[in-house]
Amino acid sequence: MQRVILFIGIAWLFSCSPVRMVKPLEKGEQALGGNIGGPLIEFAGAPITIPYTSAFYAKGLSEKTTVFGSLHLTALSFGVFQTDIGLCQQLWANHNKTLGLTANPAFHFAIDRWERNARFWPQLDIQLYKEFKNKQLIYAGVGNWIELKNTRPHNELQPQFWFVSPQAGFKWGKNKWVYGFESKWLAPGVANTPNVVDYIGMNDKGALSLYFNLIKKF
Amino acid sequence: MKKLLLLIPILFAQSACLRLDSNLYNLSDKITEYKWDNYTGLQDFKLDNSYNIADSMHTTFTISSGGSKIYATYLGSISRIATDTVILYCHGNKWHMDFYWQRAKLLAHTNGKHTYGVLMLDYRGYGLSEGEPTEAGLYEDVDAAMQWLKSNGLTNNRLIIYGFSMGSAPSTELAANPRSMRPYKLLLEAPFASSAVMAADGAGLNMPASFVTNLKIDNAEEIKKVQQDFCWIHGTNDNFLNIKTHGEVVYKNHTGVYKEAHRINGAGHGEVPVAAGFGPYLKIVGDFIRR
Repeated sequence: MQRVILFIGIAWLFSCSPVRMVKPLEKGEQALGGNIGGPLIEFAGAPITIPYTSAFYAKGLSEKTTVFGSLHLTALSFGVFQTDIGLCQQLWANHNKTLGLTANPAFHFAIDRWERNARFWPQLDIQLYKEFKNKQLIYAGVGNWIELKNTRPHNELQPQFWFVSPQAGFKWGKNKWVYGFESKWLAPGVANTPNVVDYIGMNDKGALSLYFNLIKKF
Repeated sequence: MKKLLLLIPILFAQSACLRLDSNLYNLSDKITEYKWDNYTGLQDFKLDNSYNIADSMHTTFTISSGGSKIYATYLGSISRIATDTVILYCHGNKWHMDFYWQRAKLLAHTNGKHTYGVLMLDYRGYGLSEGEPTEAGLYEDVDAAMQWLKSNGLTNNRLIIYGFSMGSAPSTELAANPRSMRPYKLLLEAPFASSAVMAADGAGLNMPASFVTNLKIDNAEEIKKVQQDFCWIHGTNDNFLNIKTHGEVVYKNHTGVYKEAHRINGAGHGEVPVAAGFGPYLKIVGDFIRR
């Protein structure tokens, strides 16, 4: 069996996505967004990004809290309904909110239409951001995924329960449009070989990933 | 926003396009004829002339399976099938029999040249065989090969089934749930455990296989029904089918009376005969068949 294209559609942290909201919206403000991107894999000798897509909606509940919900479109094309629902909570900010720390607790839920198998994964992203006068924003943080099941297929033990992913990104925009670019190192503590997918990660650990996102506020 | 939310169940109900089932079958190299020793394409290894098979001991023919014409090749004397032991070799997911020809030739030297017959086939959609590959088709095609062997006088106690990589699926399935014949012994080289393990390995998380594929291949469960003697061979450096998550699970789940394991140090996927050495590899196979 050759590994070239087999199961190329499976990615580390299925349909993973960038940080939904780095900084809370204003109270009552809403946003619609989408992203494309995913882990880097080697395909036919060249690195490519698995083009996962998802869309999300967010609304500012208060000056410090924004809720969001998403739909993973690539997963949907496989007959899997996957969503992540959570909030962006301001943990700390300076007086004019140009420097701040936020947390995004969320849960991922996925169910397929074929066998009605369902999975639930909690996630927590924490990031420090710095916003500049021209509305450009940089951030860095860490994502955390938790695997709740303690067994793998055939009742083998699940070897890892906590997946940590360092991440950094940049956002810029004009008026109500915000563009973003983010890179993650998914699961850097986990060896990426041997595997059915040729992930690209540093020191053969985890998978580097790239995302582009677009948000319209209203 | 409410209208958008209403779209979600509609999209979910209508979504059905993408599955990874067909990615199991690597058919990227097309051929118009079988070239055997004259094949110059990529191969895992190439044997020297001492392993050559005389034309008189090599027959290529077709059999019918599910309405498709399936190509098969027999190494040995067909007239001796009624008395010989035969190794039915189920190849991996790549291309065609030309790619696996060297492996079939090597097996024809188990316990000496032509001590056993070797039958290999191209599943539907592979090589010159007609049709499209499917999981059910794999089982049906290998069973059709067994019917051919049976019609030539082979009995169950002289049938050895050998599955390499993807070929471990029809080998295990037909050893566990016999159809035309019940194989006497089962050999698996670099088997995969199941599509569920493939999905979980690929995702890192405990993701169900049904999220990405409708394949039901489950050697790790089917092997529990196999009571025949079982020999497992796997490279310790298999960079594709992890020896720990795939091979070890299959081996552990065999509950028959006899089983043996051969972990080949340093061997990657497809490298077992070379890494072990042709002689030691043939000894493993030969000793298992003879015991």
